[in-house]
Amino acid sequence: MSKKISVETKDVTKFFGSFQALKGITADIYEGEVVVVLGPSGSGKSTYIRTLNGLEEHDSGLIKVNGTELNNNVKNIEKIRSEVGMVFQQFNLFPHLSVLRNITLAPQKVKKLPKSEVDDLAMSLLERVGIPEQAQKFPAQLSGGQQQRVAIARALAMQPKIMLFDEPTSALDPEMIKEVLDVMIELAQSGMTMICVTHEMGFAKEVADRFLFFDEGLIVESGTPEHFFENPQEDRTKLFLSQIL
Amino acid sequence: MQIIYWIKENLFGSKKDIILTLLGAYFIYFIASIFFEFVFTSDWTLIEVNRKILLVGIFPEDQMWRIWTVFSIFSILVSATLAYSYKLNIRISIFYVAFLAIPFLIFTTINLLPYVLAILLSSAIAYTLIYYMKHRLDRKNLSRILIVSWGIFLPSLFLILILFGGPKVTLWGGFFVNLILAIIAILAGFPLGVFLAIGRASSYKLIKLVSVIFIETFRGAPLIAWLFFAWFVLPNFLPNIFSLNDINLVIRAMIVLSLFSSAYIAEVIRGGLQSIPKGQIEASTALGLGPIMELLFIVLPQAIRVVIPAIVSTFIAIFKDTSLVFILGITDLLRIGRLIPEQQQEFYGKSIETLLVVALMFWVVSIILSQISRSIENRLNLSN
Repeated sequence: MSKKISVETKDVTKFFGSFQALKGITADIYEGEVVVVLGPSGSGKSTYIRTLNGLEEHDSGLIKVNGTELNNNVKNIEKIRSEVGMVFQQFNLFPHLSVLRNITLAPQKVKKLPKSEVDDLAMSLLERVGIPEQAQKFPAQLSGGQQQRVAIARALAMQPKIMLFDEPTSALDPEMIKEVLDVMIELAQSGMTMICVTHEMGFAKEVADRFLFFDEGLIVESGTPEHFFENPQEDRTKLFLSQIL
Repeated sequence: MQIIYWIKENLFGSKKDIILTLLGAYFIYFIASIFFEFVFTSDWTLIEVNRKILLVGIFPEDQMWRIWTVFSIFSILVSATLAYSYKLNIRISIFYVAFLAIPFLIFTTINLLPYVLAILLSSAIAYTLIYYMKHRLDRKNLSRILIVSWGIFLPSLFLILILFGGPKVTLWGGFFVNLILAIIAILAGFPLGVFLAIGRASSYKLIKLVSVIFIETFRGAPLIAWLFFAWFVLPNFLPNIFSLNDINLVIRAMIVLSLFSSAYIAEVIRGGLQSIPKGQIEASTALGLGPIMELLFIVLPQAIRVVIPAIVSTFIAIFKDTSLVFILGITDLLRIGRLIPEQQQEFYGKSIETLLVVALMFWVVSIILSQISRSIENRLNLSN
């Protein structure tokens, strides 16, 4: 694996009012790496990945994505958002647009690509996530798993270099989790840089290169999956793993 | 058999039901007998004689072609739009025909029949044509043609009425004035209302402040007060060029109605904006759609869908409020309904007849508007 840094974060902090969600996060994520972010709820893991594309503005510290610093410069924010795709827990598909239009809207309007090209791209992405036959339907007509796969296709349509997943399977019925994870595994194997907040340990074991364990706004422990499953160091990590495994 | 069963089950199911059914039936009989006795024993010649005045006021006879032209283009465009937007639904079509038959029966005379039939025929042809074309032609192109036609028609409506020696705006009157004021107030008020709603939701303090002041000012006083304002005060606000400070009262009514309705529409749309989940905005932000595209493609389309019923009831309220323009001395339908029994000796004191017809006309248009809103809602529910 090449050792080029994709996402660099240094002493990142974030306050919500007087509550400090992030208390100085320092982590580097390398190109092609699949990082799984773990931690109890309220530990700051979601906040962390949401600061990476500026959905939450960090209060201090440094965030660099592919060498571009995330600051108040609109050009920088635009560049970073064009390189970072995001998948949400609640899918957040646009309910008034067809599946195809959900995927083509951003490439057409932001990247100004011609419609025919974008349509072809969208269809090939729908093939990739396994639901080309749903292109003309509306999101509400799809199952949760299908909606989340459309959401992944929608993010991929902007041809990002990094994908963020914020608990992508937490809102799904159990029988639909696998179809989404399969898409994510395929994506990981294709070499995409991925940062995933998830509790799916099977998935994490299979594709993760590294775990980051968050608690109370700090990274308590990080390491390879083997390290976590066989030899966790911190008490907090052991307790958490014993509860979810 | 099913009907008998339904009656038995629902109207005579228990002792309480029987009592309520009998009471209700008597009440309906009581009201209906008074109403129909009046309708069938009254002399309706005053309506027959005053047909034209009720509809268009004292619009000159030799200029009537202008109104006919506007009316026929409008009718053809509406038919085409309906054909494009909806599948033929027998039940709803019967509804429209039944309600449009009311003004037709009241106002159409033998010598008008050729005109009316010509309009009906051309509208029917437009309907059939578009209905069959929409399956053959590319729907996108067809919708573009329709939108462009409406875009050309609405401004040219005024040109048709005014240009090349058209009658003065002061001569406009009757139901025609109510309709045209409502169309203007809605067409100008809706986009302005959208801007105000966005302004009020904006994070720019100044824009927000201006929007709030505008909305609260216009909602804060009754429409009658604003109409008096238009009459006495507005001229002082306008510069003394192009004789702007002496503009016609009909135009002043248009301005006031548009501003007044925009404030109400803004508040309705603001409700819709607030109903958009935060996740929608996060998703579009993450995709890199900037704030403007986010608003245009994601937030507004959804917000407006949510509030369509409320918007249509605002439209209906605006339409009925146009009858207040009598304050400016404009002889709209209601004013004419009051004038006929006051000024025409042979019909002296026969207010009830004219008022019934006036009410019926407002009612027909309002009912049709609410049916249109229901159709739009149904279709949006299907697509969701």
